[in-house]
Amino acid sequence: MSEKLYQIISKVMKIDIADITDELGPETIENWTSFNGYVLLNELETGFMVKFTINEAMDVKNIADIKRHLRNKEINVDE
Amino acid sequence: MPEEKSLSYYINKSKEITGVMDRKIRIGLLSSFTINGLKEILQVKSSERNISCIVYEAPYNQYSQEILNQESNLYKFLPDITFLIIDARSIFGEIFRFPYSISNSDREQFVEEKINEIKNLIDKFVEKTNSKLVISKLSIPTFSPNGIFESKMEYSFQNMVEDFNHKLTKNYLISENVFAYDFEKFVTKNGEDHIFDYSQFFFGDLKISMEYLPAFGQELMKYVIAYLGITKKCIVLDLDNTLWGGIIGEDGFNGIKLGPEPPGNAFMEFQRVLLSLHQRGIILAINSKNNFEDAIKVIKEHPHMVLKEEHFASMRINWKDKVTNMKELIQEINIGSDSLVFIDDDPINREFVKSIFPEILVVDISNDSSTYTSIIENIIDFSVLKITDEDKNRGKMYFKQKIITELEESTPDLQTFLSQLDLKISIKEVDEFTLPRVSQLILKTNQFNLTTKRYQETDIEKMIQDANFIVGCAQVEDKFGDNGITGVFIIKKENEKEWVLDTFLMSCRIMGRDIEKGIMAYIVNTAYEHKVKKIKADFLPTQKNKPIENFLPNCDFEKEENSWTYAIKSKIKFPEYLKIQVD
Repeated sequence: MSEKLYQIISKVMKIDIADITDELGPETIENWTSFNGYVLLNELETGFMVKFTINEAMDVKNIADIKRHLRNKEINVDE
Repeated sequence: MPEEKSLSYYINKSKEITGVMDRKIRIGLLSSFTINGLKEILQVKSSERNISCIVYEAPYNQYSQEILNQESNLYKFLPDITFLIIDARSIFGEIFRFPYSISNSDREQFVEEKINEIKNLIDKFVEKTNSKLVISKLSIPTFSPNGIFESKMEYSFQNMVEDFNHKLTKNYLISENVFAYDFEKFVTKNGEDHIFDYSQFFFGDLKISMEYLPAFGQELMKYVIAYLGITKKCIVLDLDNTLWGGIIGEDGFNGIKLGPEPPGNAFMEFQRVLLSLHQRGIILAINSKNNFEDAIKVIKEHPHMVLKEEHFASMRINWKDKVTNMKELIQEINIGSDSLVFIDDDPINREFVKSIFPEILVVDISNDSSTYTSIIENIIDFSVLKITDEDKNRGKMYFKQKIITELEESTPDLQTFLSQLDLKISIKEVDEFTLPRVSQLILKTNQFNLTTKRYQETDIEKMIQDANFIVGCAQVEDKFGDNGITGVFIIKKENEKEWVLDTFLMSCRIMGRDIEKGIMAYIVNTAYEHKVKKIKADFLPTQKNKPIENFLPNCDFEKEENSWTYAIKSKIKFPEYLKIQVD
């Protein structure tokens, strides 16, 4: 599942899958604007068929946060 | 969910757009909520159609300021089309949630005030710019605090929104520049729960969800297509498993599926939607591998055929390959291949046609005939900003053309043929009644077009009012009826001695009858009466205007450097078989 996650991040943020780390966020990814960050969440919702709560959406500051919220929705993002 | 790519696809793809495009459009985007991403969607969708699209996006919710400020960036940008996308929440404010906090009459008064505010904005906009303005109507909210009792309320909340929409439409019904976009239809088609996502609304004031923004962009592309006049004009159809179910050569007259029972009813409905397009000016034609006798018997005699012989401008029913037939069909109808849509259930035929004619819109229909009707309904390429009388009669005219062609083939020489046609040309200066059609011809004519200069209606209006221009048009009649306005010319009076032929064009359906010589004789004779000594003209070649290549030398123009000149010595005679009437 992490492969799918990385593919979506790579597609939306236009970065290489190999360059994606948990620490990356708006400061380190050029395309991570406030709007594009929201596009990312939206496309993860579609891709994983889940829905982020408004609190989760507002809480996301980096990739690690996204993984944490996906894990809470029983999506395995570690393999 | 519409078949669409994701929003991130458009955002990223828009950064990769490069190269020179065939056409250009400048779009202004104004909105009452967040529409981030719409700019990129329009740019990518335009580039897919070889249109370079430059977008000015007004700051968030600043549409009033942009319109009222005479020096705004919107006006400096000089848009061709401006989309003003508004929503009921923003327009109605507190009343959106509490419509019943005020009385019936106050609700009516409230809508009246809101319409006047919008009208005031639109009037300012129209006064200040030539841009077309497309304003979205409001979607009708499904929630009411009154629930199912809403429909018993007098001038209910729903009525308020409907009334607003109705007044907006009515105010601009005949306007050339202002168009009300049926946003509520878009919502009806896709569903309010999909279009409006509370999470996205709370998070970023999005009122069209990210999932559906690309589909909304597709809707706006209809205006781009119509504005640029790149509308498709003709649908070329296969027969077996396209217009009817089964194969006539194998299943026979009584075996094919066509009738009120399923699956024949899907084909009947498909034919009905095609007929409805035909009635508004889309030409239909057949390109089918079949025994002609078998197929024509169905077309002429099958009780459930909705489309009849008279609805087809050309019928290529034979055993030639689809591409050869397509080439002949294009020649017969005399139409640009880029105005065609091709519908065939066989993927191999579709690929073959696509490979030779990439400009043809080849529609991928599946083997499920129940989807055919909706596929046609979703094609945006038939969009027009205006439907003229000529459009409505086009189908009939092409059928007539087919009869004329048959007459031509059975007549020994061209002169005899032309003299049998009783051709009559009425030449007149363009006025408010003929302007829409003239503008349409100027935007759309590709083949018999000397300079291919594209003018919008407002440009032409200015020329009509300018004493230095003559804007004329020609209406052509023959023994089969009226062809409508099919020729346009614009003369610029350079000085007292010299006129310049700025524009000269003719609809392809009257080509080959020397009508152009009649119009040119009129121009020369008018110039002579004004004591003009010469007429200058340019031929600006494009990929498509080869048919007019020899027009100037054929009319005795002589080449001088890069331009053509006709020295006027006397009046010239009209071709004998043409009756010319000057209004």
